[in-house]
Amino acid sequence: MKILRLSLVSASRHLEEFLTKLKAEISSSKNVKELTNRLATTIEKEIRRRPTSAALINTSRRLLEKAYELMEVGLDIDEVRAGLVQEIDDLMREYRAALEVAACIASKRILNGDRVITISFSLGVLQAIKKAIENGKKFEVVVLESRPGSEGIELAKTLASMGVPTTLIVDSAARYHMKQATRVLIGSEAVAANGAVVNKVGTSLLALAANEARVRVFVIAPTQKFSFETIHGELIEIPTINPSLFVPQDLAEIGVKGYAPLFDVTPPEYIDAIATERGFIAPQAVPFLLRELYGSWPPRVPELSELEMKLKEVLHRA
Amino acid sequence: MHELPERVLKIGEDIKSMRIRGAGRIARAAAEALAIAAEEFRGKNPDEFVRYLSSIGRYLTATRPTAVSLPNAVSYVLSRVHNALRSGASLEELQHITISTSKQFIEYSLAAVERIGKIGARRIENGDTVLTHCNSSAAISIIAHAYKQGKTMRVFATETRPKFQGYITARQLAKEGIDVTLIPDSAVRLVMKRVDKVVVGADAVTANGAVINKVGTSQIALAAKEARVRVFVAAETYKFSPVTVLGELVVIEERDPSEVLNLEILRQYTLLKIRNPAFDVTPPSYIDAIVTELGVIPPQAAIMILKDFFGWAIQEYESRGFEESEPSA
Repeated sequence: MKILRLSLVSASRHLEEFLTKLKAEISSSKNVKELTNRLATTIEKEIRRRPTSAALINTSRRLLEKAYELMEVGLDIDEVRAGLVQEIDDLMREYRAALEVAACIASKRILNGDRVITISFSLGVLQAIKKAIENGKKFEVVVLESRPGSEGIELAKTLASMGVPTTLIVDSAARYHMKQATRVLIGSEAVAANGAVVNKVGTSLLALAANEARVRVFVIAPTQKFSFETIHGELIEIPTINPSLFVPQDLAEIGVKGYAPLFDVTPPEYIDAIATERGFIAPQAVPFLLRELYGSWPPRVPELSELEMKLKEVLHRA
Repeated sequence: MHELPERVLKIGEDIKSMRIRGAGRIARAAAEALAIAAEEFRGKNPDEFVRYLSSIGRYLTATRPTAVSLPNAVSYVLSRVHNALRSGASLEELQHITISTSKQFIEYSLAAVERIGKIGARRIENGDTVLTHCNSSAAISIIAHAYKQGKTMRVFATETRPKFQGYITARQLAKEGIDVTLIPDSAVRLVMKRVDKVVVGADAVTANGAVINKVGTSQIALAAKEARVRVFVAAETYKFSPVTVLGELVVIEERDPSEVLNLEILRQYTLLKIRNPAFDVTPPSYIDAIVTELGVIPPQAAIMILKDFFGWAIQEYESRGFEESEPSA
């Protein structure tokens, strides 16, 4: 799995972009067959580009379920289109609200005098910091540059413009600065069934250094980020950047290879708590939270391919 | 007071700007600068020469505050010159001693890197995956020797922000024919599961066996420890820091912010600052062994090297008193 873009957008922002694109695709579909095809291809393409994003997969699942539900009732294009557009708007609103609540909960753990370390550019982290400022907290933030995409530079600039004393450091200096840090706050790409957190590469190293220095690590993850696939033992695939974007050409010519994964996995034992819209939980309590949300364990969640099949069957019957 | 010769100033500037870099190389450059200074001395008497040479020694050691190889190289030459002065050497003899001990130091240093390569290579096994950080001649010597012994291996080289010295390492290893893969510094823990040994250099080794090396080394060692991967540090004995025996801390050099972020951008954000420490400290508990030219030692035995080889230097620093014990940065 090779990705051709160096810099990575926040999973939350990525989801919004995806939903906006999908809305346009759906709105311009002329019949249900075209709509189903476009829906399936756009989802498939996007998941292939970012297979780690649980929010992307979960949202896609909701949309496919909705499409099936609507098409079972009738195949009138206007109705299906309207229903799906409505669902996209609902999903967007729900997601934003969940992120907002999770960030708000996390912000309570930012205290006066804190020095918070973070990595990459997480919308959730940014919101938590904004909230803490609104609540009158005075603190500093140390941002890791976050190679290879260097998204940390953007976050550092944003925070400095917001009035937060911000320090930018290279990724290698994380442990060096950990002794003076009071907290680590990170976003997430996905949360696995065992509470492991997938996030921008370097996160697990940061969490390890925090654990060594007994600095607490908090993750912001609305429940849309929980990966249902991992409950059934599925491994989350980590995409890598095309080495040509990362290895200088003169080195590539003499045979130097490159390996630049976009994400890594932080084990639950290095995470103190995950802030969700349903509250602050220990990472190991993920199954409990999912049972609360879905009423059963394991939650009855269909696979995407299964849903696509069902959709096609409905079309056939027509 | 004599002016510093232009060629000496040039070497000093090159060390400061990192055109000459790596603890071994800057030590050799400093020794060479002292020899040049001796050649170009135009004064008349021995006392004047020693004062002049000492001031050059201070100038050179101040160019980079962390690498202890620099003051050690200078002391190596200067202590012999001081001894000769005390036993009544003539100006000509002193100049000769400076030039010959400088040469001796350079030769010793090069032989040490070679010897470390041979010793350390024995710890590399066929089929090993080795991870290295930054660009260390001694670490590369180990990897290259192992490869020449016919061991197949794979090397992960970190790109080493902010100055990308990992590119130099990758080039050197690839030219030897070694399978080398560049990784971002942030991917170190992720790849550690596939690594068998970590081999890094050192800028300084302290009395308790802590290793000061390129920033990022300590988190690599931490990730290695977590994954039960062995960590080897390649360090010539002149990288051991005598002043730490007296309790001195090694100064961690903080380099210019422009290495991390364009200053134009930085100026636009008054609340944004850069921290750019060049080195960090790896505790001895994360290091399996230090490979010196004299043999492999556990880091905690650093004091033995220091007492055996720098006893004179420790005494010298002690007699000079603490104020002067560390060259000012």
